[in-house]
Amino acid sequence: MKIKFLTVICLAVVAFITACGKSDADVQKAVAAKLAADNVSGVTVAVKDGVATLTGEVADITVKNKAEASAKGVEGVKSVVNNTTPKPVPTPVPPPADPMLKGKVEENLKKAGCTGATVAIANGVVTLSGTVPEAKFVECVKIVNESGAGKLNNQLQKGK
Amino acid sequence: MSLQEKYQTLLELANQNGTSYELSEGDGVLHINGTAPSEEAKQQLWDEYNRIDPDYRAGDLMLNVSVGGAAAGGGGHTYTVESGDNLTKIGAKYGLTWQQVFDANKDIISDPDKIFPGQELKIPGA
Repeated sequence: MKIKFLTVICLAVVAFITACGKSDADVQKAVAAKLAADNVSGVTVAVKDGVATLTGEVADITVKNKAEASAKGVEGVKSVVNNTTPKPVPTPVPPPADPMLKGKVEENLKKAGCTGATVAIANGVVTLSGTVPEAKFVECVKIVNESGAGKLNNQLQKGK
Repeated sequence: MSLQEKYQTLLELANQNGTSYELSEGDGVLHINGTAPSEEAKQQLWDEYNRIDPDYRAGDLMLNVSVGGAAAGGGGHTYTVESGDNLTKIGAKYGLTWQQVFDANKDIISDPDKIFPGQELKIPGA
């Protein structure tokens, strides 16, 4: 009888330990290793009661997302608190002077067959209006995006 | 929501299809400058841009992705001469003097009064 009782106790203890899974320290190591393996840098991980908290400054939001996905896949992690932040990005290169930008955009629009598009520029902000054939629409928008302009105010319409 | 969050699927796609990029941000506009490995990869990014911001109306992203590193050809801007053009007229389109246009094209123009329709002139600083 006594042996049976001990067996039950033992089984209960084993079940309890298994349920608790790995220790937080083990999980922390496993997450850190997984992040390194996935080339996620700049992230520090802390684990408490199976909850992994990620902190640190990362290159951009894609690294933030990747860090979270990597940590979630590690055995023993119940949930992830993602406190990483994308590092501040620099300000853009200043746009060319307005007359220069206007000349460049107009010439490239002409080359691309964007007839019907009109361009107005103030302080590096390009306002594109008029109507271009639908098939040309994206091409015309691309030209402004690739001109070095600071911003596109896109009022261009699709015609036939 | 930050602009990086708004356009995160576009950035994820760039990572997946091998486009290298750099981000900058100012005056409420996110700039993505990068190089895609192929026209197809570039088009995927533009399709995703259009999905997030149909017809590109929001004015909060400048997507400047070129194809290949060497294919960009130095990145200089060129102007194609049309009949009736002269250097003064061409320069004026870019806020330049005729002399500045001439100086940049001395290899192909010997006489500043003689340019021909179809000639590709380099525009300095563009």
